[in-house]
This record gives sequence, C-alpha cells and structure tokens, in this order.
Amino acid sequence: MSAIHPFDEARPLDRAVAREAAEWLVQLHEGATAADVAACDRWRAADPEHERAWQRAQRVNAKFRVVPPGVGMPALGREVRMDRRAALKALTVLLVAGPAAGYLAYRETPWREWISGERTATGERRSLVLADGTHVDLNTATAIDVAFSATERRLILNAGEILVETGPDAHNPSASYRPFVVQTRQGRIRALGTRFVVRQESDEPATRVAVLESAVEITPAAAPQDQRVIPAGQQARFTATRIGMPEPADAHVADWSHGVLFADRMRLADFAAELSRYRTGLLRCDPAVADLRITGAFQLDNTDSILAALPDTLPVHVAYRTRYWVSIVAQEGVSR
Amino acid sequence: MSAAELALQQEVQTLYSDHHGWLYGWLRKRLGNAFDAADLAHDTYVRVLASGQAPQPDDSRRYLTQIAKGLAIDLYRRRQIEAAYLETIAVLASAEAPSEETRAMVVEALVELDALLHRLPAKARQALLLCKLDGLSYREIAQQLKVSVSSVEKYIASALRICIEARNGLLG
Repeated sequence: MSAIHPFDEARPLDRAVAREAAEWLVQLHEGATAADVAACDRWRAADPEHERAWQRAQRVNAKFRVVPPGVGMPALGREVRMDRRAALKALTVLLVAGPAAGYLAYRETPWREWISGERTATGERRSLVLADGTHVDLNTATAIDVAFSATERRLILNAGEILVETGPDAHNPSASYRPFVVQTRQGRIRALGTRFVVRQESDEPATRVAVLESAVEITPAAAPQDQRVIPAGQQARFTATRIGMPEPADAHVADWSHGVLFADRMRLADFAAELSRYRTGLLRCDPAVADLRITGAFQLDNTDSILAALPDTLPVHVAYRTRYWVSIVAQEGVSR
Repeated sequence: MSAAELALQQEVQTLYSDHHGWLYGWLRKRLGNAFDAADLAHDTYVRVLASGQAPQPDDSRRYLTQIAKGLAIDLYRRRQIEAAYLETIAVLASAEAPSEETRAMVVEALVELDALLHRLPAKARQALLLCKLDGLSYREIAQQLKVSVSSVEKYIASALRICIEARNGLLG
C-alpha cells in the first residue's frame, strides 16, 4: 500500500510554522504599524515554508470573505457533536420530512429529497425545477407533493393548479425510464413527454387537464380500465369514475404562469370567481350584473386595481365592506 | 502512471465489482432513498481511490461502510448548513435574494469552513467566528465571551493555526 499525494500543497505544515503564521495574522488584524507589516514580510521571505503557511492562511481568510454578513453565524454558530449512528438516522428523517417547505430559495433549487411538499399562498405563484429537469409552475393556493422513486416520478396535486413541462430525467440513477405521473384525487395523468396544465377544481370533485404539447394519458381512480389519451390542443375534465368528452383547449389556459388573466367576453360572475382564486376573503358578484361581459388581459399581481378599474368599463360599483369582503353590484343599486 | 497507482486501481476495481451492489443496498436501506444511496456509494469509491489505500480483502465491507458513514454525516451537515443558510436569506425580498450561483458559492464556503471548524474547541471557534463573520473587534469579542483581550487573541491564534495546519483544508 502506498500513499499518493498528488498536490504538494497537501503536504503537512510544521506546527510551529503554522502557529507563527496564525500569530502574524492576529497581530496584523488590528492596529498594525508599518513596522509590523515589514516584520511580517521579512518572516514570509525567510523560508518558503513560512510563505506556504501564509498563503494557506490567506485562503482561510478568503473563504470567510465569501460568506455575507449575517449569514454565517446561524449556519456555523452552533457547535455540533454527533455520533455516527445518530447521523444516519437523522439523515433519513431529514430526507423524508424534506426541508421546511416554502423557503424562498428553494424555489429554483433542484430537488434532492425523495419526497417533499410545496405550496403557494392565495395570490402567490411560484416556479420550481425538479431533479429530473421538470419545470413546475404553481398557481395561487396550490399544494403539491413530489415523490420520486427508482421506478416513477410522481407529483401529487392536493389543491390548486400546476403547469408541468416534463424534463429529460438525464441523471436518473436507476438508468431505466421512469414515467412521469401527476396524481389528483380523481385519478392519474401520465405524461408522454410533454407540457400540460392540471387543475384540481375546488368546488367540484373534478380535475381539469389541458395539453399544450405532446399528449397525456388519464386513468380515473375508480375506473382504471377507462384510460384515455388526450393529445395536444385538447382539454378534458374527469372525475374518479369518468372522463368527460375532450374539447379544444382554451388558448389562455397557461396565461396565469405569466401572471395574466385573459378574458374574452367572459361572464362577470365567472370573471369574479376566477379573480377570487387570487384573493383572500370573499369576492361576491351580484346576480343583477352576473351576465355582463368583460374582455381584457389583467395583471394578477394586483387584483385590487383590477377591481378598482371595473366601473370604468362596466356599469358596476365595487363595494368594500372590509378589505376581505368585496361585492360587485349594479351602479344604480348604490345610489343614495 | 506509477506501478503503485496501477496496483491501487486494480484493487479498487475488484473492490467495486465485489461490493458496490452490496454497499448501495446497505446505504439505500439506511437512507431510505435511491438517489443519495447511489451518490454516496459512488463517492465512497472515489474516496478510496483518493486515499491511495485499498483495504485488506477480509476487511473490505467494514472499511467501505466506515467511509460511507462519514460521507453520510458530511451530507447531513451540508443539508443542515444549507437549510440554516436558506432560512436566513428567506427573509430577504426576492429582488435582493442572491442568485443561484452566489448561493451555491456561499453554501460551498460554509461547508468547507464547517469542516475546518468543527474540531476547534468551543471558545476558539466562537471567537474566530465573531471576528471573521460578524467583524467584531477583539475588545468586543472579549466582552461577549467575558474573557480578556489577550485571551481572545490566543483563542483566535490557536483557531487559525488549526485551520492553517488542516491538511485537507481549502486546497482550492
């Protein structure tokens, strides 16, 4: 057996030399005089080993400088002593629980955990890139679980709406093809290399799928024999027992991923229902104005200003009882 | 390539074909997931190659699991550090949030520093961190740790000496 040290750098330093270098660093850190600096320079020049120790010390300092103020202490400040068996156990727990969901920074961080949950608040949207390269956009009030195994890439849609663009899965460790599946309460949607939108309807027990590229295959949970392939450009609703007739996909079905709500002669009641998905609290539309039609592209990031602008184009009044209780009513209805 | 290196490669190759499947299964059972098990099994062999030593044949599995456990601990620490760091920056508005590259660089630096610092005595470690990360003066550190300024200087010097001495520390 032989030890190989490819880097001369790795050669151990003499302890006394390392101590001297450390002492110089401490001395020059605060209130050093020109004489101190000159003396340190002489020490460095006196022996190549001194200089090597000095360079290592500089690298240690440089590492500290990479860490922005306020960031390092929370990460390194605790002293951690861990016995080895405990670490293996702890690792398992950490993996299963995943990191605390909703870290801002995890939004674009590739997934390493085998299962983990992500959710968005009402009015929030978020993009994720999964470990296999799949892009997932989460619309408002959405909750998903990601469960990747050696045989399957599964995404569980618990609530809300997602836009999925499946990735190549190039770093798959098992080397065999792993199907990509979205599971809702009503059944499974298998992606056939593709881009599609899945929405878990909140008021009815139904899932809506709109296919933008390629195709998906739907399997209702209680009627697995009734599989159906939905090609690009089509959309379908399904329940646990049946799949509705496919129809042409709404061209604006994925607009929300750019923060836009598109309406083309949309009923005001439907518009209000759509808008209320992006708002906390109650948004009511008076039946007297429910059938008015509205057209336009609306920025979802500020639903208050969308509401405020409604009276400019429609004969309506927007009544705020509180910030969270808003009614769209007919204009004459509010005349005093 | 020297004869010693060739012999080592040969030994590691045998070690791989004899035990890789077993090691992967062992890791997978303990970690509960295939990705990390595959990564760590691979890294274990890389580590054996880098160490320049192959174990005695009858000691192979104990040797491999010992390395693998060490790597699992490193991974666990890395995730803890990553999580703590992400938690800290999560409070930043998204416009100020660091880019993915910056985040990766900072996490890398934190992990390296953690590996260097974990063997320091508590006081020396604390003094060094307060000095380098929080930018406190020796006097401020002395007040915080309730020791004299000359003790602080001693703590920091001994911490720096250990960092400088560390053979695997910061070769980049």
